[in-house]
Amino acid sequence: MTMTSVEGSAAPMRVSAHARKGGLKAHERRVGRLFLLPALAAFTLVILFPFLRALAVAFTRSDLQTPEPIFVGLANFRAILATPEIIGAFVTTAVYVGLATAGTVVLGLGWALILNQSFRGRAVLRAVTLIPWVLPSTVTAFVWGWIFNSRFGVLNAALVGVGAIPYPTAWLSTTGGAMTAVVITKIWFSIPLFMSFFLAGLQSLDREQIDAARVDGAGNFALLRDHILPHLRPVLLVVIVLGVIGNLQHFDTIFALTGGGPVRATSVLSIEVYRRAFDQWDLGMASALGLLWVATIMPAAYFYLRHLLKGA
Amino acid sequence: MLDLSSRTAKIVFGSAAILIALFLFFPIYWLAISAFKPNAELYRITPTLYPHDPVLTHFATAFGRGNLMQQLRNSLVVSCSAAALNTLLAIYAGYSFAKFRYSGRRLVMVFLLSAQVFPFGLLLISLYPIVTSLGLIDSRAGLTLSYIVFALPVSTYMFYSYFTQVPSEMIEAARADGAGELRIFHTIVLPVSIPAVVTVFLYGFMWSWNDLLYAMTLIVSEDKRTIGPGMLLAYLNEVNSDWGGAMAASIMASAPIVVAFAFLQRWFIQGVTAGSVK
Repeated sequence: MTMTSVEGSAAPMRVSAHARKGGLKAHERRVGRLFLLPALAAFTLVILFPFLRALAVAFTRSDLQTPEPIFVGLANFRAILATPEIIGAFVTTAVYVGLATAGTVVLGLGWALILNQSFRGRAVLRAVTLIPWVLPSTVTAFVWGWIFNSRFGVLNAALVGVGAIPYPTAWLSTTGGAMTAVVITKIWFSIPLFMSFFLAGLQSLDREQIDAARVDGAGNFALLRDHILPHLRPVLLVVIVLGVIGNLQHFDTIFALTGGGPVRATSVLSIEVYRRAFDQWDLGMASALGLLWVATIMPAAYFYLRHLLKGA
Repeated sequence: MLDLSSRTAKIVFGSAAILIALFLFFPIYWLAISAFKPNAELYRITPTLYPHDPVLTHFATAFGRGNLMQQLRNSLVVSCSAAALNTLLAIYAGYSFAKFRYSGRRLVMVFLLSAQVFPFGLLLISLYPIVTSLGLIDSRAGLTLSYIVFALPVSTYMFYSYFTQVPSEMIEAARADGAGELRIFHTIVLPVSIPAVVTVFLYGFMWSWNDLLYAMTLIVSEDKRTIGPGMLLAYLNEVNSDWGGAMAASIMASAPIVVAFAFLQRWFIQGVTAGSVK
C-alpha cells in the first residue's frame, strides 16, 4: 500500500493531521528526530562535551598549582615533544599494538579454521572459546599474573622443566618480560572476538566453489591461498582495524599487571594519560597528550567508519 | 572445509589445534584449580597439575576480605542499570537511523559511531569534572551514566543493522491503520527485536561488569566500590599476595557473566558481528 492512497482513503485523524501540516515526509522527519533525541542528549553529555572540553583544556595550563586554567597556546604540545619519556610512550604503544594485533589475527584465524571443521563437540568448543573474552579485566590480570609469577608461576616451572630456560625469569619485573606478559594477556582475551568474525566470514564461503577447487586437485594450502584467504579479505580488514583501535585504547590489564612498569617498559599512552591526569593532576598535559593519542587512532577510525556506514 | 585425510595434514592441523586450545583454556583451568589448592600446595616451585588435597578455605577468606559480597552487589546494580539505560537509548536511536529519513541523519550517525574511537581514558579526564559538577562523583549513578561511553555507539549500530532487516511494509501498514509512531514501535517492531535487545543488554552489561578504569576513578568510597577495583585493591596491593583468595574471588566475580553467556552466546555473536561481515 502506498502513502498517497492513505491520504485518499478514510484516513484516521492522526495521519491526515500530519498530512495537512506539510505531508508525510515532514511527519517522518519530525518523528525520526524525536526518536533520536534521548541518545543524542546522552551522547552530548558524556561523549561530545567531554571531548570538546579536553580539546580546550589541552591549550591551557591546568594543574594542582593552577586551579583556574590559563591559556598557554601550544606550550603543552611543545613540552610533550621535548619530553623523551612521552616520546618513548608512543614507541611502547606502537610495539604493544603491533604485537598484540598481529598475534591475535594469526591465532584468531587459526582457531576459526579449526572450529570451522566438522567434529563432535564443536558447538560446545565454540561456546567455551568466548570465556576469556567475557572475564572481568581484574580477573584476567589475576589469572596471568599468577601464571607469570616469578617464584610459583606455572610458566616458569614448565619452561625450566622442559629445559627451555636455565632458571626462572622474573616476567613482570624485567622490561622484555613485562612487555611479553601484557601482550600475551591481551592476545589471550582478544582471540574469541577475532575468531567470531573470521568464523562468520568462513561460514559465508561458497561450498560449491571449494568443492570444485578440490575436484580440480587443489590441496589445503592452495585452497587457503587461492580461495579462503581472498574471501576473508574484507573481514581481515575489519578485524585489523578493530584490533588496532581496541589495543590503542587498552588500559585495564596493563595497569593491573604492571602499572606501566618496570621503569615505563609497558607505559603505553593509555597509562601515560591516566598517570598525568589522575596521579599528577596535570590536566592540561594529560588532555594534550590525549589529543595526540586520538590523532594516532584517526587513520584506523577512518577505515572503520567508512566500512560501517556503507549504504547508510 | 580443509581435507585432513593425509598424515601431514593431520599432524600440522592437530598440533596447531592442541597448542591454541592449550593457550586458550589452560589459564581458565589453572584459575579454577588454584582456588582449591591449600597454601602449602599453592606455593611450591614445582606446581601440582590438579589439587591433591582440595580445600574451600580460599572461598571463605575471599568472602571475609574486601567486602566481596558488597562489591558484587554494587557491580550488579551498576551493570544492570547501565545496560538498561544503554539499551533504552540505543534502541530508539537505531530505529530512527534505520527507518526514518531526515537531513542531518548521516552526520549524526558519523558522530555517534566515531565516539567509539575516542579513547575512554581521554574522555575520562573531562568526565571527571562533569560528573563532579553534577554532584554524581563517587556515586553509583555517576558511574552508570559514564558507562554509556563504552557501549552506546556500538549498541546503536547493532540496533541499526538489526532494524534495517525488519520489513518497512509492516510499519507502513500499521501507520496506514492510524497507529501512533510510539505504538507502532512498541507493539510491532519491539516484539520482533527481542534477540537484538538481549544482545545489546548483554553487551552493555559486559562492558560495565568488566571495567576497571572508570570504576576505580569515579568511585572512591569503600562501600560503593565495584568488583574490578575492589578485587585489585584487596589482592594485588600487598607485599604478600594471597593468590588462593584472588583465584577464589575471581571465580565468584566471573560466574555471573559466564553463566549469562552460556545461555545467550549464540544470539550474542550474531549481533556483534552483524554488519561487519559482508
